[in-house]
Amino acid sequence: MIKLLKVEWMKIRSYNAFIVISAFFAVGVFASNYLAYSFKKNVIDPADPTGLISAGSPFGFPNVWQTVSYYSGLMLLLPGLLLLILVTNEFTYRTHRQNIIDGISRNQFTQVKLLMGVIAALVSTLLVFIAVLLFGLLVNTGSFSFSGIVNIWYFFLKALTYNFIAILIGVLVRRTGFAIAVFFIYSVLENGISILLLVWAINIKKNNNIDLGNMGNYLPMNAADGLLYSPFDSFTNMANKFLPSDYTWLVFLLAIIYLALFYFWSQQRMLKSDL
Amino acid sequence: MSILSVENLCKNYGQVQALKGVSFSVPRGTVFGILGPNGSGKTTLLGIIMDILKPTSGSYNLFDATPDETYRRKIGTFLETPNFYHYLSAQKNLEIAAALKERGAQDIPRVLDLVNLTQRKDSRFSTYSLGMKQRLAIASCLLGDPEVLILDEPTNGLDPVGIAEIRQLIKQLHQQGKTIIMASHLLDEVEKVCTHVAILKKGNLVAAGDVNEILANEDIVEIGATDMKQLAAIVTSMQGHSNIKNQDKIIQLFYPIGTADVESINKHCFNSGVVLNHLQLKKKSLEAKFFELTN
Repeated sequence: MIKLLKVEWMKIRSYNAFIVISAFFAVGVFASNYLAYSFKKNVIDPADPTGLISAGSPFGFPNVWQTVSYYSGLMLLLPGLLLLILVTNEFTYRTHRQNIIDGISRNQFTQVKLLMGVIAALVSTLLVFIAVLLFGLLVNTGSFSFSGIVNIWYFFLKALTYNFIAILIGVLVRRTGFAIAVFFIYSVLENGISILLLVWAINIKKNNNIDLGNMGNYLPMNAADGLLYSPFDSFTNMANKFLPSDYTWLVFLLAIIYLALFYFWSQQRMLKSDL
Repeated sequence: MSILSVENLCKNYGQVQALKGVSFSVPRGTVFGILGPNGSGKTTLLGIIMDILKPTSGSYNLFDATPDETYRRKIGTFLETPNFYHYLSAQKNLEIAAALKERGAQDIPRVLDLVNLTQRKDSRFSTYSLGMKQRLAIASCLLGDPEVLILDEPTNGLDPVGIAEIRQLIKQLHQQGKTIIMASHLLDEVEKVCTHVAILKKGNLVAAGDVNEILANEDIVEIGATDMKQLAAIVTSMQGHSNIKNQDKIIQLFYPIGTADVESINKHCFNSGVVLNHLQLKKKSLEAKFFELTN
């Protein structure tokens, strides 16, 4: 597998789209957090000197783990897009056939792409970790704390989910433009459906007093999203009292199940079909 | 030992049957032509052998064993179109191919030189002409000096010089004892290059075996004279031929293989008062055979 990873690296290291999208993502992680930081400091704080809405210090430890993970998470469509292009490129150039002809198995072809998804998620997470330290220690000077580091793990899970969805769409759709459209439309559509499910869950709770949890979070992308939310969105925090409770363990379990599902679906697709 | 054997291979694309139970085997050290018109199933057959298509039924062996990816690494294969990363140079594309094959990384300058691409090795693949792409694909097949090559229409898109070079290369490789499996719809190419041939027609195997056996099952003697009418009259009294065809300026006499006696034909005509201005012994042309077999 190390050999195959090296080959993947040979494929992307001088690929312009790889360099551009990676740079956008890296800059985006820091820029989105700085934007949130700046908004909090320059707009919210003067209007809310007692910290009623902003719930304390979102960029100081321990909150910074959650804050930075949340805002960086908004950028995760980018690495997903990159992986999707890497997969559809193989189909466009018909190199998926050549790779197999030259001596890898169909299994290895998808495995190495999914492994690239894991690596991209790890690198993104590392970037977020650095951003946390930067904002927590330098921008918002304060003492370090590991409390809340679980949010980094949630971020990794979210990154992995986005990457695997992107790879799956790439393997299923094969054509670059169409696959990108499907990826974006899917992410928007899922958010819409998730809101409808939440409204439904609220109604069920109100009318029948049955708490099914926030069903919006049971969909693949939202399951990963649902684990991470903005710590200084106090309106959501207040509204949460009236919403169905969020079963974190269930959402977490579903996120893992979705990952496994995407993994096997991509594998099967490559194993069974004509290439 | 056979390099490749296929057993009752079938492939359906929906309603269309691309292969209908094809069986044959390729002996070591041969140049094995798979000949057929467009759409006869040549590429489908090679695609199944390379595991990029799934057969509907039937089986195949490489090197007398059930194949997996490690067997494919021992074979230099060029299937249908040159498939490379457009944004990478020839050099980098070959590095990737060599890494996947796990051999041939040191061989890159040699193969680039063989196909005359050394000067352009750092240009992106997307800037190449069709012929150059084709030559790069052949270079990639030659990486690591494999014992077996599978080439699907290797001279497609090449200029006449390029075609001659590739044919020469195939002959050289054959002399070095390598096995070459080559699909082609060009009769002339198979006739010039191959030692063995399998002929496909609409997914059926029409014939397979030694080129000389498949092609030359008849001797043909062509004769011509100034007075064609008289010539036509006297050939009817000759013995031994199986068929006569009158053409515009020649008459073709067909004999069972090895039985045509050109000298006695000449003598017979001369004694009958006709002087021949054309007398030639031919093996049946592949083209004629091909049309006969596939129509």
